[in-house]
Amino acid sequence: MEQEDFVVQMKGISKVYPNGIAANQHVDFFVRKGEIHALMGENGAGKSTLMKILFGLEEPTDGEIIVNGELVHLTSPSVAISKGIGMVHQHFMLVPSLTVAENIVLGMAPKKSGIIVDYKKAVEITEENAKRFNLLVDPNAKVMDIPVGMKQKVEILKALVRGARILILDEPTAVLTTQETGELFKELVSLKEQGFTIVFISHKLNEIKQITDRLTIMRNGKSMGVYETAGISEAEISRLMVGRDVVLSVQKEKSQPEGSVLKVRDLEYTNKWNKKVLDGVSFSVRRGEILGIAGVEGNGQRELVEMLFSLNVPDAGTATVNGENILQTEQRAIREKGVSLVPEDRMVYGIAGPATIEENVISDRYTKKQFNKGALFNVKGIRSESDHLIADYRILCKSRKQQVKMLSGGNIQKVVVARELSSKPKLIIADQPTRGIDVGATEFIRAKIVELSRAGAAVLLVSADLNEVIELSDSLIVMYGGKIVAYFDDTSQLDDMVMGEYMLGLKHQTDEEIRRVCYE
Amino acid sequence: MFEQFLSTILKAEFLFSVIRITAPILFAALGAVVAEKAGVVNIGLEGIMMISALFGVLFSYWTQSWLIGVLGALVIGVLLSLMMGFFAFKLKTDIILAGIAVNMLGAGGTIFLLYMFTGMRGNTGALVTPNTLIPVVNIPLIKDIPILGEVLSGHSVLTYVAFLFVWLLWAVLYKTSIGLDIRAVGENPDAAGSVGISVERIKYIAIAISGALAGLGGAFMSMYYSQGWNSGMVAGRGFIALAAQAMGRGEPLGTMLSSLLFGLAQALRTKVSGLQGVSSYLVSVIPYVVTVIGLVIYAASTMQKVKKHHTKAQKGA
Amino acid sequence: MSNRRLLVFNILRGVAAIMLALAVAAVFIFLTSKEPLTAMKYLLLGPLVSFKATGLVFNSTGLFTILAAMIPTIFTGLAVCVMFSANQFNLAGEGVVMLGGFVGALCGIYLKINSPLHPVVCVLVAAAVGGVIMLIPALLKVKLGASEMVTSLMLNYIIMFVVLHFLNYNFADRTKGSTQTYPILDTARIPEIIANGTKLTWGFVIAIIFVVLVALFMYRTKWGYAIRMIGINQSFAKYSGMQVGAMIVLSQVIGGVLSGMGGSIEVLGRFNSFLWKELPGYGWAGITIAILAKNNPIFVPFAAFFIAYLNKGCQQMATYSDVPSEMIDIIQAAIFLFFAAEQFLAKYRQKIVVKNTQMDLANQAKAAANAEGGSH
Repeated sequence: MEQEDFVVQMKGISKVYPNGIAANQHVDFFVRKGEIHALMGENGAGKSTLMKILFGLEEPTDGEIIVNGELVHLTSPSVAISKGIGMVHQHFMLVPSLTVAENIVLGMAPKKSGIIVDYKKAVEITEENAKRFNLLVDPNAKVMDIPVGMKQKVEILKALVRGARILILDEPTAVLTTQETGELFKELVSLKEQGFTIVFISHKLNEIKQITDRLTIMRNGKSMGVYETAGISEAEISRLMVGRDVVLSVQKEKSQPEGSVLKVRDLEYTNKWNKKVLDGVSFSVRRGEILGIAGVEGNGQRELVEMLFSLNVPDAGTATVNGENILQTEQRAIREKGVSLVPEDRMVYGIAGPATIEENVISDRYTKKQFNKGALFNVKGIRSESDHLIADYRILCKSRKQQVKMLSGGNIQKVVVARELSSKPKLIIADQPTRGIDVGATEFIRAKIVELSRAGAAVLLVSADLNEVIELSDSLIVMYGGKIVAYFDDTSQLDDMVMGEYMLGLKHQTDEEIRRVCYE
Repeated sequence: MFEQFLSTILKAEFLFSVIRITAPILFAALGAVVAEKAGVVNIGLEGIMMISALFGVLFSYWTQSWLIGVLGALVIGVLLSLMMGFFAFKLKTDIILAGIAVNMLGAGGTIFLLYMFTGMRGNTGALVTPNTLIPVVNIPLIKDIPILGEVLSGHSVLTYVAFLFVWLLWAVLYKTSIGLDIRAVGENPDAAGSVGISVERIKYIAIAISGALAGLGGAFMSMYYSQGWNSGMVAGRGFIALAAQAMGRGEPLGTMLSSLLFGLAQALRTKVSGLQGVSSYLVSVIPYVVTVIGLVIYAASTMQKVKKHHTKAQKGA
Repeated sequence: MSNRRLLVFNILRGVAAIMLALAVAAVFIFLTSKEPLTAMKYLLLGPLVSFKATGLVFNSTGLFTILAAMIPTIFTGLAVCVMFSANQFNLAGEGVVMLGGFVGALCGIYLKINSPLHPVVCVLVAAAVGGVIMLIPALLKVKLGASEMVTSLMLNYIIMFVVLHFLNYNFADRTKGSTQTYPILDTARIPEIIANGTKLTWGFVIAIIFVVLVALFMYRTKWGYAIRMIGINQSFAKYSGMQVGAMIVLSQVIGGVLSGMGGSIEVLGRFNSFLWKELPGYGWAGITIAILAKNNPIFVPFAAFFIAYLNKGCQQMATYSDVPSEMIDIIQAAIFLFFAAEQFLAKYRQKIVVKNTQMDLANQAKAAANAEGGSH
């Protein structure tokens, strides 16, 4: 293939973070001019790191980058921008208190007499480009007041106004409604027709199939190869992404659920942007069953979990564990009722990175009698507890005194899971328990969850991974737009296509059907 | 006694002194505002004021020019804040610790430098001559208005500069591109970085402006207010400035109002301590207590607002 | 194995920071002094060595005075360790030392306890008052979210003026030329370990005991553990079910107790009456010491020794050369800046980490290969 075919050539890219995590290992990534190229992979596969390197936000430990035939050193975003690269981040890079126009011209604001910002001109620039690229926005609105879809348009405009010819979009549809997604795709195709090159990061198969020309798949920091989208089946993509056939080998006996442990009734929450995030959510989780919550991210799952662990305050509704209220109380009290949580964001809630493994696994139980002797810690008790947990949960480490942040992602999650599952919980809330971790750790954690549920624990599983939530759950609810739109009391007969329709809000069950999940 | 007290503070002379006392706090508080807008906590204001105050006196003594003295103080303020910035942004020293280090330099380093440069200990009394002091300005027309003239006219050049800077800083922050960059960096550094704004450069600029303002505050103290430098001179004004910034919600105008409040407290302290039977020490506490009360009211009202939006989740307490 | 390499790196890094700070001091001295070599000699060796015609002689009195000077700063250093471990930038140690000294002295003057318990009572009262006063910034932080940094800074001034008020208006000994209290009763004085006038009192032993106690508290009790976890990641601590607010208050109260003790032990051991007219500076020294000790109580005495040594060196330098003793503040600031600089020599650290990771990956691959070989 001729050299000049490619606008971007990343060769042999490696990246080791200061905490020792090797996010990219000798990755090759080539993009043709004028194509929509998907970069695929599970969370934690190294896609974002690779793109941060291409946008100058991270410097590679090793490897070279050629843009438009020129060897470049992308030491900062401004260098990347000057090479015609623009990026739309997953979490919007906007300044909320500034207006749309101010955000768009940020860093290159038009000026009068040298230093004064020419705001009128900024509005003109915004309107002009909005029209040209057919991305309609309100230039004078403050960013904090506009809907998500418009924010994304502002982001794309920002890149285009800066002369980007290569656009990187990091999971752009994760926060969008179906409608907005459709709109975005039209815009992207139109940009492609105007000669722009688009790199599209995603792990949603249907989207990739719909709009991309070629795709590169990443797994565990390595590239699994580049393919023509038309020439590869979804099953093949899944296999390359997850490293095994889609059908999971979760071995589990049929559940024998009995008696509700968690009862959630009519939970309501409106967030600070006045969006109704939870809209009359009611369900029960029974002893010995795994109830899954499926849904595209951002449909209220996160907030629901926050409420159930008192990390947020609902506007209305109740939630009880074995008859006792768990809303708006202290985490200690919640844990005493036998609730444990594998949090979605393990680095923020799950661990204290610079502390040792030992210190991390006892954080919920350090006040217990067996770990204290009078005023002092019972060092032996703590040591044997942590050694046990390290062995039981197969945490790969040098010793229990190793800093948790030095472990790999999978082992960090095992530390969290070891703590949360070993406290004899009556209710386990597992929020994205295997996100971004290696296959071995994933299977281990899934097996543990099944084991505990069969021993009588109630499990609430939240996962954006459709395979996981179908295979692991005994029964399942689907959330869409802050509501439960479907309940399936038996997951064994479910297929992805049907689920997809519920998750995207195309279908919903009747209230009576949904109400069954309350078990009253 | 109360009547005596009332008659003292209801005079034009008292209001004049409020403005005079507010000026140095205002300089430093504006310095805190600009740093905070860029997301930088400048706790080194106190030390910067001390060191700049000393160099203001030294430069003016060496050149016999008050203007060069003031400019020298400003430059020293900038250099010190850039040093703080270097350690904080480049070497990743906690910005608070970097500020504490500058305050150490301000406390003992100044005494050392003064001795090394002049052989004097503790104060610069002998170095000060009329032409090394910042001159006062009588504003034509206004000075002839009764009361108002007495209050507003006859201040030092730098006093007027301080109040002018409230407006100027507002204009810089809200009307210029550098101000736009500063606000963007403070509110969402990732966003600013993603459009090619060098976050580090903007933070350097902000802390340099902050240092320049604290430098002017220092010059004001030694070259006008105290008429000479001494080791106990700044007396926490740099810290009070931080509180004024917080109470003023980080905006120039609000910060000016809270600075005036502290100025008022200080002026009261001076007046009250002149009265019979009042402990000068207890009176000295007034500005600091006012600061704490102000901070508490501010914090409580913020807390209330946060509660209304019921997003208190992440906070520790 | 690889952890050890990082440890060695951290130690070397600390030494490099100190050397760099001393180099900064040397630059200042050479720039400003007419006799820089003499100044340097006294700064570096003066504290422990006498320069006799016959050569260098070890000076045991010097050692005693250095150890004596460590007494208050060990306490403030420990106080800062506890508060900074909880990520609480409470800087009121300075004021609380003065308050503790004052309260301790008053108890030593006005409480008539004719027994060896007298100083114990004085110190305990001072400690209690120190703990109570720290409730102010702590509760304001926890209940209202007011920055403990700013309130504690203000508290320093408030304490100072209030103490000076009471000293001048209520407790001054008018028979004396300068403002001071009546003499502290002999029964309340903390005696020297060896009566040689170096002021190395039993307070030193108490300080060392407290080093051990605070180390045990921080690393061997549930409270210390919670305080450290809160300091590392408050969200994690909250989610784990720790009582975050209570622990934040506790850390600052303990900081106050230790500072109050330090102040009272210093006054009861060193002076005949209370005569501080300004903040004594031990609070700030405590911050430097805690930074040098990386918030680990066990390292506090070493850091305190180092700072006391430098202090003495600066005094010697001021006595025997033309460089003033306030040089100490410049050296301290420089050490402080370099020592607390995370990125200072970070490139080398990154190299070590990369190397370790590569070795780990290689080992894992090997282990995986072995495991696969075994299972088939």
